[in-house]
Amino acid sequence: MSEIVFDGVTRRFPLAKGGDFLAIDCIDLRIEEREFVAIVGPSGCGKTTLMRMAAGLDFPTDGRVLVGGKEVRGPGPERAVVFQQFALMPWKNVRENIGFGLMCRGTPRAEREEAVAHYVQLMSLAGHEDSFPHQLSGGMQQRVAIARAYVMNPAALLMDEPFGALDAQTRIVMQEELVRLARRNPRTVLFITHSVEEAIYLADRVVVMGKRPGRILETLDITATRQAENWEAEPIEEVMDSPAFTHLRSRIWRLLKAREQEAPAA
Amino acid sequence: MASGRGARSWLGLPRSLVLGTFSVVLVLGAWWAATSGFRLLNPLRLPAPVEVWVAFQQILDRGYAGGTLWSHAQHSLGLVAKGFAVAIFTGVPLGLLMGWSRHAEALINPIFLLLRPIPALAWIPLAIVWFGLGDTGKIFVIWLTAFVPSVINAFTGVRQVDPVLIAAARTQGASTAQVIRHVVIPGSMPMIFTGLRLSLQASWTTLVAAELVGAFFGLGRVLNIAGQDIFPGMIIVGMVAVAVCGAVTTWLLGLVERRVINWRPAV
Amino acid sequence: MGQRNFLGPSGTVLGHGEFWLLTLAGFGLFFGTWWGVTALGLLPAQTLPSPLDVWQTLVRLWERPFAGHVYSEHLGASIRRFLMGWAIAVAIGIPLGLLMGWYRVLDEVITPLFDSIRFVAPLAWVPLAALWFGTGIGGPLLIIFVGSFAPCVISAYRGARLVEERLVEAAQMLGASSRQTIWHVVIPGSLPSIIAGLRVSAGLGWQSLVGSELIVVGAGLGYLMVQGQANLETSVVIAGMIGIGIVGFVMDVLLRAVESAFRRRWGQE
Repeated sequence: MSEIVFDGVTRRFPLAKGGDFLAIDCIDLRIEEREFVAIVGPSGCGKTTLMRMAAGLDFPTDGRVLVGGKEVRGPGPERAVVFQQFALMPWKNVRENIGFGLMCRGTPRAEREEAVAHYVQLMSLAGHEDSFPHQLSGGMQQRVAIARAYVMNPAALLMDEPFGALDAQTRIVMQEELVRLARRNPRTVLFITHSVEEAIYLADRVVVMGKRPGRILETLDITATRQAENWEAEPIEEVMDSPAFTHLRSRIWRLLKAREQEAPAA
Repeated sequence: MASGRGARSWLGLPRSLVLGTFSVVLVLGAWWAATSGFRLLNPLRLPAPVEVWVAFQQILDRGYAGGTLWSHAQHSLGLVAKGFAVAIFTGVPLGLLMGWSRHAEALINPIFLLLRPIPALAWIPLAIVWFGLGDTGKIFVIWLTAFVPSVINAFTGVRQVDPVLIAAARTQGASTAQVIRHVVIPGSMPMIFTGLRLSLQASWTTLVAAELVGAFFGLGRVLNIAGQDIFPGMIIVGMVAVAVCGAVTTWLLGLVERRVINWRPAV
Repeated sequence: MGQRNFLGPSGTVLGHGEFWLLTLAGFGLFFGTWWGVTALGLLPAQTLPSPLDVWQTLVRLWERPFAGHVYSEHLGASIRRFLMGWAIAVAIGIPLGLLMGWYRVLDEVITPLFDSIRFVAPLAWVPLAALWFGTGIGGPLLIIFVGSFAPCVISAYRGARLVEERLVEAAQMLGASSRQTIWHVVIPGSLPSIIAGLRVSAGLGWQSLVGSELIVVGAGLGYLMVQGQANLETSVVIAGMIGIGIVGFVMDVLLRAVESAFRRRWGQE
């Protein structure tokens, strides 16, 4: 059971000079089991905060966050997180980084090594098992981060702008790979991004958020279009070029732009 | 001219090596000239190189001020090692605790605030009152010297560990003990070693001072007695011995650091 | 909110009340243990005098001479010596460091000499200083100089080397001569590093001063402590330590303030 539910979630931050900053205003959102949902929005709209609350790294001021029917009380491996800055431990090599969660759990060595080897293969990291993070490119480091999330067999995957720190070319490659992985290994995914194209390409549903305060502007269902246009069979550059794709993209851009004009940056 | 990058070479050797050797030779030459060569200086003020050599031979073979050069050096090194070890094993855990827990920091900081401004050397008279001139007093003073930098650097080390790494470990199910063992401690190691290097140099300074004030053995005692005996050659021998010991121990610490912190790109 | 803190120090927020309570508790712990140990007679008064004893001794020393002078005279003597020795180290060390940072040749000539002498602990110079200066003020001045010299040179050197290349190139492009570049770019650019170095150098210099006074005869806080120790008057020793601590603390605070002021002025804070 892994559906993610945000029930009337509000988050306020106390300001240094007194008073509160309303980051998120009463959000209701339900992510079904095995659904891939992307949240898209400008910086500061609260999308990362939502993800952190699902991860148990932050808590709502009002309302509840539930995963698999249980209220979130803290971080744990059943809700694996992939961070934008990779967050790999510089003093552990690739193998040790991927196997860290299993080691904490007490998984016996043989089992652990097998699981790590499996994901090393899957994420095309073969040959780099003994390398340290600083010896790897950004893309490879993120692959390690994704591998270490998957190896825990989590019920839910929470990804915070995972490709934000990568250069444009690497980013596209990773997007294709993630799609492949997600279709092969489906689970509930909450994916945060500020790239509209990325959201449309990867997700079953795209939630568009505006800021000041953080609220859901609209939710778009992508599955219908994706299946109708058979995106899974095409390379990413073809998909992003297709009229159906650009149509969705423009729609979301218009939403964001309209919102920006209503409440321009201070 | 100045921010000149790129090694220049003279006669096929790096310029820095040539110049460096030249200046050392120049100084040594001037030393010899001023003392034995042209007798510009009273030999009581600055011993000639020959005198230093004679003193060196003496302390090596027959001993001086109660022991040979080796036994004095060994004694001093032993004290530094012991004091240093106690300081690390008390200081680093305390620093880690204060770094991890803001409550512990608030509680213990006042004591630090009160004791920190007092330089370690200022504790020597008190140490003599408490422990006399023997080894315990010396180890106590060295511990004082090395303790504070260890704590501060361990503390800073913990605080500068990227919070994202801690969050990442938690999302993988790490317990607090596992977080401390696998994230906080390795993450603080670079800063801890910086602190150790400072502690070690400070320990030497303090030990020599403590032995100068009063001791039964050690390089500081050699210096002390040589001063009293007005034996300039031996004074120089003592100073050189102190320098060599300091350099060697610092180098050894560097070796340990490279082994422990094997995950950084070559800086 | 009352959730468990998962993130260590970055996740902890200490309320004002909590902080001050713990801080007071810390002070209390220190003085309480001290006073308690002495009140319970766990250690002989000679080994550890009570805080009250120390205070009374301080008052006494302020009014009546001990080891030849009143407390303020000892204090003054120490501070005077320190300032003289430190001033010399700064006056020579900083320009030298800057020049070494700027002129590579100078760097390569001097560094080997510097490195060979650097490892000699400052107090190891005492017998040699006694040889050269006898019991005159030259002795302590030399020790203070040796103690505070290295940080001055090193910080000035680093400051000069780390001045952004772009700034130097910009100045040269605009036609500045070597001297103008040093005066208008390198020196201001290295000031933060130099000031940080001054703080370290003052601390080490003050420590060297104390050390030299433990051995060299005269007036001064170190001398006061040694006489106190010789006479088994432990409270005098502690009274001396307090003075040393306060001066060191005040110096450090002042230099930190100067450092902060510079960084704020140039937007690095």
